[in-house]
Amino acid sequence: MDRGAKVFGALGQRLYSNRMRRAAKKEEPATYERLVYKNTSVYHYMSISLEFENEETLSPAQLKQFIVNGLKDIYGEVGGAFPFDLLKFDELKLTAILRVYNSGLVKLWSALTLLSSFDQERCAVRVNQERCAVRVNQVSPFLLALSGNSRELELH
Amino acid sequence: MVRLKSRYLLCEVCVSDRSHLLLLDDGTVQNAAKHALIQAHGDYGFAHSIFGFSVKYLNAHTGIVLLRCRKSHYRLIWSALPFITGLKKRGQKVPCFFNCLHVGGTIRTCQKFLVRYNTQQLHRMLPLCHSEEERSAIRKSVLSCTVQKDADADSEEDIGEED
Amino acid sequence: MYRELEKCPRSLLVCEKSNFENEKSSHDTHVSKHYFNHKVSLVIPECRSLPPKLASVINNFKKYFLIKDLPVYEFLDKDFLENVVWNGALYALSYKTSIDQDNTIALLPSSHLILSVDKDTYEQLGLEGKPSQYNHKQPMRYVVTIDLTEKSMAPGGKRYQRVLSSLKERVPLKSHFLLARHNSGVEGDRVLQSLLARYQWKDHTPVVRSHTLKDLSCPSLRSTDLRGEQHSCDPSSFLEWLGAVSAGVSCDNTATSFTSTYVCPEPNTPVSQALHCTLSGLLLPEDIYSLLQELRRYFDEPKFTSWLSLTVHGFMDSPVSWGDREHGFHKGGENFYNFVLFRNQDYWLHMGTGSNDRCPP
Repeated sequence: MDRGAKVFGALGQRLYSNRMRRAAKKEEPATYERLVYKNTSVYHYMSISLEFENEETLSPAQLKQFIVNGLKDIYGEVGGAFPFDLLKFDELKLTAILRVYNSGLVKLWSALTLLSSFDQERCAVRVNQERCAVRVNQVSPFLLALSGNSRELELH
Repeated sequence: MVRLKSRYLLCEVCVSDRSHLLLLDDGTVQNAAKHALIQAHGDYGFAHSIFGFSVKYLNAHTGIVLLRCRKSHYRLIWSALPFITGLKKRGQKVPCFFNCLHVGGTIRTCQKFLVRYNTQQLHRMLPLCHSEEERSAIRKSVLSCTVQKDADADSEEDIGEED
Repeated sequence: MYRELEKCPRSLLVCEKSNFENEKSSHDTHVSKHYFNHKVSLVIPECRSLPPKLASVINNFKKYFLIKDLPVYEFLDKDFLENVVWNGALYALSYKTSIDQDNTIALLPSSHLILSVDKDTYEQLGLEGKPSQYNHKQPMRYVVTIDLTEKSMAPGGKRYQRVLSSLKERVPLKSHFLLARHNSGVEGDRVLQSLLARYQWKDHTPVVRSHTLKDLSCPSLRSTDLRGEQHSCDPSSFLEWLGAVSAGVSCDNTATSFTSTYVCPEPNTPVSQALHCTLSGLLLPEDIYSLLQELRRYFDEPKFTSWLSLTVHGFMDSPVSWGDREHGFHKGGENFYNFVLFRNQDYWLHMGTGSNDRCPP
């Protein structure tokens, strides 16, 4: 028995016995069933990495705003208005995972490719333009596939 | 024979002060539409729809504008029109908005629509006349342009008299 | 308004539900037919560290070799064919070659040599092949499949000589190779070592990484409800959650959050800890099968969790996915399968592929 059991104590025991009872009730094996889904995922996932000319730091919110601005430049306020999520952002490695609806995939991808400068407000008046590039490492309809990128396999 | 199909957007420019309408010209309207396109659809939408986009007809007195664009992308321009908030002319900014009256496949259908539209407007506005003199003045001006076939610049009907 | 921009490539997800003890259950063929596996990842809820039995299976995964600049005709060497290729199972896949731009070569354990080559190489090779299924209007990629067990491919035969001269003289194809062997006999080892000695090589063992996740919410699953219609989680959102766990994506967001609105699918249960363990390298299907068998025994002792999951990712640049089904890259090149094991020996199998792939078996 692992540590979780001790932590949860009585509650855990009760849960456990409940589950055992339920498991005993449907002990009969599952019958074979096969389902084939086409385009089941409504989302596409992208793994991207950022490259700056100079060393930069930015927060997740800044990154998202940066991408939204890029979208607005290319597709305008009407075409660029679609939701996407910044699922994860690694501020040290500057890599991120994005989630977007299938209908927005092409727009987001093209906007990311065309992003070339990052506005960094150093002081209140002057706006510094920092050159940067976004590299799209992997695109997949399954988030699970992003963690198994065989092109990243490095052997020395 | 395959023809390159176009769409014509018949719009009316609405301004608060009608004297500002006289400032209108092709370049101003085209510029305003281009800016609205960039704002609403970005570089991508602008590049898509700007080919074949032109101002075909403009009446500075009545504020009627006829825009021509490619059939495949007329929705882009159509949806960008509400984003026009003003016209810039020689440093002067005239606040206005575009009211799209009709979308047609040929100039001829747009013209027919405009004649019908203006007739309706006339019928709607005639009962609002305050006095008999006003009414007769209007009747006179309408009759005068139809009989003489003279392009009376002040008449709302003049688009019907051309062609 | 932007109809042409809103299209996206198709993806396929095949879900199966069965029981391991079911006679017709084909979980073993699904595992053994997926030849080139790059990564295995395990998620076990309510578990802090790997049980010793599981750990020993994981540490016993076979090592594999990386050989640099190996010419392809070396596979056709008489000694090598007789002792290594026809004897036991040999897996070889070209390394650092992208299937959408380079020549990719694979040797399957069924003794099929597959050359997925571009048009120029194909025309120079002079071997018969088929245009790839995933070409555009003009075929730019061809697949040459050579069955090494065929009679005409016996060393010295006419066809053998022809293939050998193509690969040796006309187009001396060479590439880095990942190579692994199952059931190696003594003689086979000797021949393999003599081949390795002639080239630069190194052996690698699969890299094991494991860490414990604290305080997360797990979707509740019911083994009888594969579709997720009766108060459990549907397959695509379950896979999404699994991906989120593997990638370390946080699930505690609100609907009003600016950056992300991803949340764990409903209904879920809080779990104090979960074990996430990954193995990467060239992993043999035989090893994965023994891992699966060991995982089935995980529920022999009473456990808190009612399910655990095993995900296997295939190589994106392998010319085949399952069996000899042709595999392409297009946008992601994903081919993976995922087992969800339940306490009563029921299992779910999800198989996912991207656009340039046929439907999984």
